[in-house]
Amino acid sequence: MKTKNKMTRKEKILLSWTIIPLALYTLFFIVPVAMGINYSFTDWNGLTQTYNYNGIANFISLFTSKRILNSLAFTGKYTFFLVIIIMFLAMLFTILLTYVVSTRLRTFFRSVIFFPVVLSLVTVGLVWNQIMYRVLPQLGQMLGIGWLSSNILGDPKTAMWGVIFVNVWQGVAVPFVILLAGIQNVPTDLYEAAKIDGATPFKLFTKITIPFLIPTINVAFVMVLKSGITVFDYIQAMTAGGPMRSTESAGVLIYELAFTDSKAGQASAYAFLLLIIIALISVLQMKVSSKVEVGQL
Amino acid sequence: MKKKIPVKVITYIFLAFIAILVIFPIYVTFATAFKTTEESTKNFFSWPQNIYIGNFVKVMADAHFWDYIKNSFLITVISVVVTGIMIPMVSFSIARLMRKYKYFKILYFVFVLSLFAPFQVLMVPLTQLCTKLGLMNQAGIILIYCAFALGQGVFLFVGYYKSIPVELEEAAVIDGCTTTQTFFKIVFPLAKPMTMTVIILNTLWIWNDFLLPLLILNKSASNWTLPLYQYNFKSAYTFDYNLAFASFMFSIVPMIIMYICLQKNIIEGLTAGAVKS
Repeated sequence: MKTKNKMTRKEKILLSWTIIPLALYTLFFIVPVAMGINYSFTDWNGLTQTYNYNGIANFISLFTSKRILNSLAFTGKYTFFLVIIIMFLAMLFTILLTYVVSTRLRTFFRSVIFFPVVLSLVTVGLVWNQIMYRVLPQLGQMLGIGWLSSNILGDPKTAMWGVIFVNVWQGVAVPFVILLAGIQNVPTDLYEAAKIDGATPFKLFTKITIPFLIPTINVAFVMVLKSGITVFDYIQAMTAGGPMRSTESAGVLIYELAFTDSKAGQASAYAFLLLIIIALISVLQMKVSSKVEVGQL
Repeated sequence: MKKKIPVKVITYIFLAFIAILVIFPIYVTFATAFKTTEESTKNFFSWPQNIYIGNFVKVMADAHFWDYIKNSFLITVISVVVTGIMIPMVSFSIARLMRKYKYFKILYFVFVLSLFAPFQVLMVPLTQLCTKLGLMNQAGIILIYCAFALGQGVFLFVGYYKSIPVELEEAAVIDGCTTTQTFFKIVFPLAKPMTMTVIILNTLWIWNDFLLPLLILNKSASNWTLPLYQYNFKSAYTFDYNLAFASFMFSIVPMIIMYICLQKNIIEGLTAGAVKS
């Protein structure tokens, strides 16, 4: 309280500017997180006024419930392929637009590839859902492609790929523009110096471009990783977790447990597990990126 | 030299294919929305022979149709305007005083902490809290957006203010400006590029958001936003997909217009938002 008496008029005004944001943040973020942690140790069904504490039973159930394990496995698989495909395509687009395409067409292709970002995830999911349901089977029959002749989202074996395709369609844009911006920031004098030393274009790329791009790749990678782990909108709009729970992600199952199955306690514990995974990834990212930056200096 | 041409040709063919893949769903949406069911059953891919507006007439005949537009519009505009003033102000307090007082430094880290929390953690308690407080409505969701926008906004702004020299503010004070005047006349105009970035990020997020409206506004149709309306009518339109596509147009078209007008700002804003967070 000593500092408060010493505060100047200006500082008091600035202090008053923090009151409303802090109040909002406390009410809608800090309080709910605390409530969620509390719920995760209870058998609350989400509807009644009362509930009992049941220790770590919810957390144990995360590793024994078949449905939860199934959703964890799905989320892992989904995220794995999502990250690989998006990072590969984003890198490919970046390389092609930087080294092959002329400047005018580069701007054009960047605008087109980036466009899906402005659309709502759920609208995108619904539009593609209709296309996969009605248009693609027609196309598949016309061209005589077997797997395309029926709705990809209707078959447990192919449904995940349908959702991944749509997620990539929209999700490749931001990683791509980040990489494109990053590659243009590589200092050109380094290239010239290396060229004089007789470096091949391939060497230039692997020895100069890639090391400079690593922090950017790191950012894009973690962004896609997090979006995969928490995927919800696309699945809800396209398959709602089906068919036969073959696309039930962690995000979708938490929603189902909480609002359909009246297992709010278990849902909170599952959400908490997700929080720990995301937090670990973020900490790891900060460690890696600080190391890379130190290494570069 | 000979080798270079095929690489170029393959690249352009590949990129043209990608461009078609991006535009294809938008084309299908436009084409189907303006066709009758018979016409699209005959050929899904063709451009409508006669522009048919019956689908739009039917969609707009929905008793709550104007509510969805109004809700989406009001929630987005109010939240974006409030955050567009609140975030620059609180970030300014933090940026200028975090080295002097612990309170501001802690506040900064507490705000930024929310960037790490997946939304699933808040889902159950937030619904419970809003039910208890009577905030399962538009006002409630606006307050929540304002709270959730703080993490990224404060993070971006505090970094930006460090690049604005304090001397400018000191000069303004000598000229007789109060703290509030100094902020709004000197600092706020200088921070315009960052305000633009935050406004774009929040507009795209709030206009397109689905999960939060699903939790807070799903109970009564008069509270729905456009994404929620489209989701809820997924099953109702199973047999009349021309109507479904007409309904998609209402949320896609405003975004296409915005993208055409503000493309450069949107790309820069999202790049900055992603790289710096």
